[in-house]
Amino acid sequence: MAVDKERPGKDIYALVQHPTIPVRNEVYKSLKSRPVANVVNPIDRGLMNLDLKGQKQRLVTIFERPTGGALFGPDGKVHPRVNTNKLRQSIVLSALKAIAAVHKRGFTHRSIMPTNLFFAAPDGDEVCIGECYSAPPGYKHPFALEPLKLALADETARGEGDIESDFYQLGACLQSLYFGEALWRGKDRDSLLMARVNQSSFWALSGGREIPGALGNLIRGLMADDEDERWGAEDILDWFEGVGKPKRTSMKAWSMNRPTSFKGVAYVDRRLLADAFARDPREAANFLKGIDFPAWVQLSFRDEILTERLEATLNVVPGGGLGGTRPDDYKMVSRVCMFLHPTGPVHFKGHSFFLDGLPSALADAFSRDDRDLIGVILDLFDERFLNALAEVCAERNDRFMTQVRGLRPIMIHGSSKSLGRGMERVLYAMNPILPCVSQRFSNVWIGSIKQMMRALDRMAAVGPLKNVLLDRHIAAFCTAHGSDLERDFNKIAAAQNDPVRLNSLSAEFFGMLQRRFKLEPLHNLTEKLVDGLSNTVKALKNKKRRERVTALLEKVKKGGDVHKLTTELNMSRIQVEDSREFAQARNALMKLDREKAKLGRKILPTDLDARTKGLRGSRLVAFVVMLLVGFMAFFPA
Amino acid sequence: MAKKKKQATPMRMRRKINKRQEMSAFGPLLVAGLIGLGIASLNAVGVAIVGLAPTIVLSLTAKGINKAERVQCVGFMNIAGVLPFIAMVMDQPRELMFILFNPINLATMYGAAAVGYALVHVGPMLAAIVLQSLAQERIKTLNQQRQALIEQWGADVIGDKDGPEEEPGWAQGRRPSA
Repeated sequence: MAVDKERPGKDIYALVQHPTIPVRNEVYKSLKSRPVANVVNPIDRGLMNLDLKGQKQRLVTIFERPTGGALFGPDGKVHPRVNTNKLRQSIVLSALKAIAAVHKRGFTHRSIMPTNLFFAAPDGDEVCIGECYSAPPGYKHPFALEPLKLALADETARGEGDIESDFYQLGACLQSLYFGEALWRGKDRDSLLMARVNQSSFWALSGGREIPGALGNLIRGLMADDEDERWGAEDILDWFEGVGKPKRTSMKAWSMNRPTSFKGVAYVDRRLLADAFARDPREAANFLKGIDFPAWVQLSFRDEILTERLEATLNVVPGGGLGGTRPDDYKMVSRVCMFLHPTGPVHFKGHSFFLDGLPSALADAFSRDDRDLIGVILDLFDERFLNALAEVCAERNDRFMTQVRGLRPIMIHGSSKSLGRGMERVLYAMNPILPCVSQRFSNVWIGSIKQMMRALDRMAAVGPLKNVLLDRHIAAFCTAHGSDLERDFNKIAAAQNDPVRLNSLSAEFFGMLQRRFKLEPLHNLTEKLVDGLSNTVKALKNKKRRERVTALLEKVKKGGDVHKLTTELNMSRIQVEDSREFAQARNALMKLDREKAKLGRKILPTDLDARTKGLRGSRLVAFVVMLLVGFMAFFPA
Repeated sequence: MAKKKKQATPMRMRRKINKRQEMSAFGPLLVAGLIGLGIASLNAVGVAIVGLAPTIVLSLTAKGINKAERVQCVGFMNIAGVLPFIAMVMDQPRELMFILFNPINLATMYGAAAVGYALVHVGPMLAAIVLQSLAQERIKTLNQQRQALIEQWGADVIGDKDGPEEEPGWAQGRRPSA
C-alpha cells in the first residue's frame, strides 16, 4: 500500500516489478495517458531503492487502488456482495465496458481472473479489472482460465492471443464466481484438457453442472471453444437487451475419421493427438516412422488432401528405428503436430510455443537459467524448419508466416558465439523493455544504456569494474539497445587475454557511449578507467612519455569526461609508438655496446691499424725531413 | 714448410698484400730519379747508389704487410742523408772519392737510414698510444649516450627487466622447507 502525497486520500498501491518479467510498455503508456474506466490504471512509475534482502533498485508502478476488495479472495472465498443478480447486471456490464475500452486501444487484457476482479468501492456495485501491464499476456495464467487454443502452449509462451481470449477469460471468471469455487485449481492438466476437448470447456470446468437461465447462456457463449462461436461485445449487449438469440455452441470438427492409438490411448481429436505427440516427441517419432504415413493420413483425415508437396514438406521418413531418435525427428514430429493442429502452438522437443510468446518464454528461461529450454528455442530458430511449419499451416494460420518474418532479423544472432550476440542478444532484441539481467546488476535496474553508464559510475565508487564488458548479458544489452556496437565488442573479445589492451578498449568504448548519449561527467567511472589504465601507463617504457600521460590522465580524472580520456589520449597509438621507439632504442644501445667493447680493448703497436697509421706517420715525418734537408742542401742561405 | 705456410695464408689476405706491393711506386720513382740524376751528373749517381744501399737492400728483401710504408720511410730518411753529399759532388765533382770513402760521410748517410728504421719502429708505438687515448675519449662519449638512453627508457632497455635474480635456496646450500 502506498500513500499519494500530492493527492491525499486517493487510494493507490505500488507494485514492485520483478526484473526478469518483461512488462507491457505500450499498455502502460496507453493507460497512463488516457485511463480506461473499470480497469486498474497505472498512475506513474519509477525506480526505487527497496530493502529486499539488501538494498535493491526496482521498477515500482503506482496504480489506482480499488477499495471494495477482490471478487474472489485469496482465501478461496467469493466476496459476500457477489450474487447472481450482481453477476448478471453490474459485474458483466462493468467488465464488458473495461474489455471493450481496452480492445479499442488496440491490445488485449489477457489477465482476467476472479482474483483480479475488484469492487471499485466498498459500497458500490462497480467492478474493476486488475492491471494487465506487469506481465506478458497470459503469462502463467491458470490452464483452465485460458482459451483452449492458447492453453495448449507452455504457460510462459502463450503470446498476444486475440480479443476473443478476453471474452473466454471473462466467461470462465463468471463461472467460477457463480459456483463460488476456484474451478481452475486442483485439476490435472491432461485430464482437464481431455475433458475440455471432449465436452467443451464450459462443461469440463463446471464438472457437468448447469447454470440455468440467461446467465448460463451468456457464460456458455463466452466460454465457447471455437473463436468463431464465442460471444463478443455485441453479443453481450444483445444479451443485455434480451433481443439476441442465444447462440448455440457446437463442437467444431477436429475429429479424425478413425481413432489413432498412441501409447495405449485411442485419440479421435487431432488437437489431443498433437498434444500427446508433443508431450512425448521421441515416442511420437518412433510411432510416425513405424506407420505408412500417407495411408494413415488418407484413412484418418478423409477431408484433408495430402498433396505431394505437403507430404514432402512434412517429410515423415518411414522405417528405421535403428540408432534411436535423430535430431531431425523432433522437427518431423513438430511438423506433423502443426499439420494436426494448424492454429495451435509449435510443439517442439517437449515444449509448446506460440511464436509471439517466445520473448516471454525466453525471459523466463533466462530467469531460471534453464539452459535446456534456451537450447530448444535456439534449435527452433531454423529458418527452413519454420518455413516448413508455415507452409504446413498456411491455409488455416496466415499469421504464422508474418511472425516467422518478424523473427528473421533476430534469430540470426542466436547461434553466434560472439560477444554481443548469441541467445542473450535474442533475449534483449525480443524484449526491448527487459532490464539487463546480468548478475553484476542484480541490485540495480538497467533499462537503457544511459542507466547502465550511470549505474556503472555508481558501482565504480564502491568496487572494481574488472572485465565488465566481457559479460555476455551486458554486451548483448548494449548491442540490442545501441547501434553499430558489434564491431567494438568483437575488438573487446579479441583483447580479453590482453588486460592492457582490454583496458584501453574499454575506456574507448565507454568514452564513445558517453559522447553518443551526451552523458554528464562520470567521475567514478573515469577514475576507475584511469586506474585501470595505470597498468598500461606503467607498461610504457619511455619515462618522459609516461610522465606526460600520467599528468594528462590526472587531468582527465578530475574532469570525469571518459570521452576526453580517449580523444586526448589515444592509448592504443601511444602504446604502438612506445613499443616501436623502444625497439629502436634497444638497437641503438646494442650498437653502442658493441662499439664500446671494440674500443675497450688495449691497442698494441702490432695491431694492424696502429701499425699502418704509425708507419704512415713515420713516412710523413721522413718525407718532410727529406724535403727540408734537400731544400737546405740545394738552396743554402 | 714454406708450402704449408703459403696454404695457411687466406686467399683474400694474399690478394690484399699483393695489391699493396703492386701499388707502391717508390721503386720505379727511385730508379727514374737515379736515371735523371745520371743524365745531370754521373758522379752524383755513384754517391746516390752507394749512399742509398740500405734502401735498395730493404726494397729487395722486405716482406710482409706495410712493406711500402717501411721502404718509403727508410728511403726518405736515407735520401735526406744522401742529398747534402749529392749536392756537394755536383758542386765539386773531383771530391767524389774523398766523399765516398770518408767514414763520417758514410756514417751520416747510413745513420740517416738507421733513423728511418727507428721511425718504422717508433711510429706504430706512438700511433698505438694516440689511438688508445682517442678510444678512451670515444668510450666516454658512448657511456654518456648509453646512460641517456637508460634514463629515458629504464632498465628494460638493457634487457634487465627484473633486476639481478635472487639466487635460489638450493644454490645457497639451504634445505627446501617441508
